[in-house]
Amino acid sequence: MRYELDVKVSGGKLIRVRIDADGGRASRVAVDGDFFAHPEELFEEAEAELSGIGLAELGEEARRAFSRPGLVIFGAGAEDIAGALEGAVRGH
Amino acid sequence: MDIRLLDTGSAPGDVNMGVDEAILRAVADGRSPPTLRFYRWSPPCVTIGYFQSMEAEVDLEACRAAGVGAVRRLTGGGAVFHDAEVTYSVVVPEGGPLSPPDILESYRRVCAGLLEGLAALGVEAAFSPINDIAVGGKKVSGNAQTRKSGCLLQHGTVLLAVDPERMFSLLKVPSEKLKGKLIEGAKARVTSLGAILGREVGYEETVRALAAGFARAWQRSPSLPEGIALAPGALSERESEEARGLAAGRFSDPAWNMRR
Repeated sequence: MRYELDVKVSGGKLIRVRIDADGGRASRVAVDGDFFAHPEELFEEAEAELSGIGLAELGEEARRAFSRPGLVIFGAGAEDIAGALEGAVRGH
Repeated sequence: MDIRLLDTGSAPGDVNMGVDEAILRAVADGRSPPTLRFYRWSPPCVTIGYFQSMEAEVDLEACRAAGVGAVRRLTGGGAVFHDAEVTYSVVVPEGGPLSPPDILESYRRVCAGLLEGLAALGVEAAFSPINDIAVGGKKVSGNAQTRKSGCLLQHGTVLLAVDPERMFSLLKVPSEKLKGKLIEGAKARVTSLGAILGREVGYEETVRALAAGFARAWQRSPSLPEGIALAPGALSERESEEARGLAAGRFSDPAWNMRR
């Protein structure tokens, strides 16, 4: 099953989330968009850590994963990404 | 502090992105001085931001049919159709006067040069957070920044002319029905030096004005107490060689361009 949502961050950029899920867990999570983040590899580590997480915990895990020390996100934030993932799972 | 000034002219997208990365590596290694580069695109090219999906953003079939390239950038930001424009890149070590830790402030400091250059052309522009420059509320320049290996890379465009119909023929749109609205929206929100000044504005003329603008803005900025001078130069042999390798490697590789 796939969940998708595009969210325009107020005063910021667009976040496009795609969650592939199987049996209530995320098998793959993609957080795309026209925001900025560096180091890019750290962002992708955070993204990869969301695979295998239960859909109900995805937002909370994302808040933690995208707030990791050393990761700078510009034009969006961990809270916006978490909110987009939660919205996608809720269906809006 | 001296900044090397380069004008590398026209190149395809994979070469242009390869040159920016080769400069970034050379400045990071201390092999080259901080650098301001101007360039343009031949053939025209769509670039997408690091975090964008090529498949979702770009109509690759339309690009192929039109002879337009498609490349993923090292920097974030949105999809850009590069055609009638001047493109610049700035590579400086992090922590210097142009690259404070505050990202918005560093955009502001680098873009001060563009504003000064545009003023010399008779264009009163303003920085429009978070990463644009606008004239009368319409975007004339978009900018994108990343930090790698202890350096800041910022590149961006100044539009000489704008063709939203052509741009949206190359980008994916949610539906044909929405395409018209997007084109009208772009016409309302985006402008160009040609449209503002009511005449054809050339690449060389714009590069001259922008280079002088960067030099003036950076010399007199109170946030840059050292003063910065521009010194015309060229790519080193090693930079040229690395750029060719990156163009033929990373920036032509589907594993990079299609990675999202």
